[in-house]
Amino acid sequence: MQKIKNQRSKIKIVVFLIFKFLILNSALAGELSAQLTTKVNHDHIKIDFFYHGSEVNVSGASAPGTDIVIKITSPEAQQILRRKGKAAGLLWMNVGELEFDRASNLYFLHSTQKINDILSQDEMDRYVIGYPALKKHIEVAQVNDEDEKNRWFNEFVKFKELSRLYAISFGQIILNQTESGQNYSIKLNWPYQATPDEYLVTVYAVKDKKVVEKAEARMVVEQVGIVKTLANMAKNNGAIYGIISIVAALAAGFGVGMIFRKGGGGH
Amino acid sequence: MDFMDLMYFYLPVALTSINIFYPIGLGLAVGILSGLFGVGGGFLMTPLLIMLGIPSTVAAATDSNQIVAASTSGTYAHWKVGNVDFKMGFHLLIGGFVGGLMGVQAIKILRAMGNADFVIKMTYVLMLGLVGAYMFIESLQGIRKKSKGHGSGVKAEKESAIGRLLKSLPLQTHYEKSGVAHSALIPIVFGGFVGILAAIMGVGGGFLMVPVMVYILRMPMHVVVGTSLFQILFTCIEVTFLQAYTNHTVDFILAALLLLGSTLGAQIGTVFGRKLKGEQLRILLAGIVLIVTVKIVLELTLTPSLLLSQAGGH
Repeated sequence: MQKIKNQRSKIKIVVFLIFKFLILNSALAGELSAQLTTKVNHDHIKIDFFYHGSEVNVSGASAPGTDIVIKITSPEAQQILRRKGKAAGLLWMNVGELEFDRASNLYFLHSTQKINDILSQDEMDRYVIGYPALKKHIEVAQVNDEDEKNRWFNEFVKFKELSRLYAISFGQIILNQTESGQNYSIKLNWPYQATPDEYLVTVYAVKDKKVVEKAEARMVVEQVGIVKTLANMAKNNGAIYGIISIVAALAAGFGVGMIFRKGGGGH
Repeated sequence: MDFMDLMYFYLPVALTSINIFYPIGLGLAVGILSGLFGVGGGFLMTPLLIMLGIPSTVAAATDSNQIVAASTSGTYAHWKVGNVDFKMGFHLLIGGFVGGLMGVQAIKILRAMGNADFVIKMTYVLMLGLVGAYMFIESLQGIRKKSKGHGSGVKAEKESAIGRLLKSLPLQTHYEKSGVAHSALIPIVFGGFVGILAAIMGVGGGFLMVPVMVYILRMPMHVVVGTSLFQILFTCIEVTFLQAYTNHTVDFILAALLLLGSTLGAQIGTVFGRKLKGEQLRILLAGIVLIVTVKIVLELTLTPSLLLSQAGGH
């Protein structure tokens, strides 16, 4: 118990900024320039034995009067999922696989207001903000037409949302006005389903339906301790890992058998 | 908050967190069935683990690791009361091993033909349904006859007819523990048959092996349970190793949580089993097999809520 407390407080103390840079948008420079900052308070999440998800705070400063969009994604990759369909016209079963290319395993999007009210579709497409933009961005192999793609993309999002890996919300970002501009912050529940990876946090400052500034930070999620040792062993030393698993199971089975005999439960 | 944290363990291979009471409770329940009926319980455990968020490949592989522990515990408990026929178990194992290899080849051929999943699912449903229904009707008749005070005269006649044919085979062996005499080829061939089907369906095959021992090998029900567990133990050792070595899908932590419950459950099941008669045990097992059949049929016919799932496994 003490160990976990220590670990938790250690993690909380480790609050530092990894990466920060600003991009100027050509159209709206002037007074808005270089004001967007971002930091993630918990940018190194350690998966230990008792890990059950975490809490992540994303905060920073932005120019006055801007809306904020925060996007968190894992690196894009090809995701292969099994597809259910009707076999022989009447029975539901797995009938094949679907490939989703350029798809992130995790996609979180949070904004100060409803995303369609603060950004034009062109801008959303350009920065892959929102599900419609994501749909255009992701390629689904083995589909014949747009209708089919729509259907399977919706199923994909449903699957990911149920696994808590995709989420979209608005109105959860807290804005505080300051003398020089405004501060924003959001507290997110980080799901334990998010696998070890390097995640990218992108913050967009938005004004007049356009992205005016962008800032990024990175977050690392990695396994530590016993979890890491076991995961590595399972992956790299399958034979030894298998033998240990079998011997442990045999020992447990005999152990419990012996205990029952000693316990006098016999006939 | 801190206490809550202790109830969750992170599973390094399944890559998910789980409330430890679920796998322990699940292990206990399936372990009891194991000790009672001599089945591994994979047909119950694997789908329930998937429901808890474990990827299907990890669920199946980890379950076989867990069954190693449960069947060791169960075999040990049955052996103490003299209910394991090692000679019969060994002959069934030879057949099962060869059958398993043939089944894996059969799957490769099915996959190449392109409709493997359909064939596998249909085989599974038909076998579960047929075995469940036959066992149910047979044991129901057995219970009725006994309550009316009839002997098993009809059965004995039938036995002698089939018996004559079986007795003409070579390698006649007396199985002392079971009190039966057969050609050693019989358990080897039927063990092989179960092995082929089990490999095709991706299950341990306890629910098939138990009826084979009861109806074809004519072994007493209590010896069937102990011997089946002994046989399952070796099959699952082999499967666990192959899964860990080739697919890297055995989650040791999950297996440890499951076996905490299942090793205990197997002992409890054995104690309960001794209080029940053979027909009663068979009708209960038949009931469970039929419930699982209905569940799979519903899954096949009702529109699923999710049309996509994690890839991997069959």
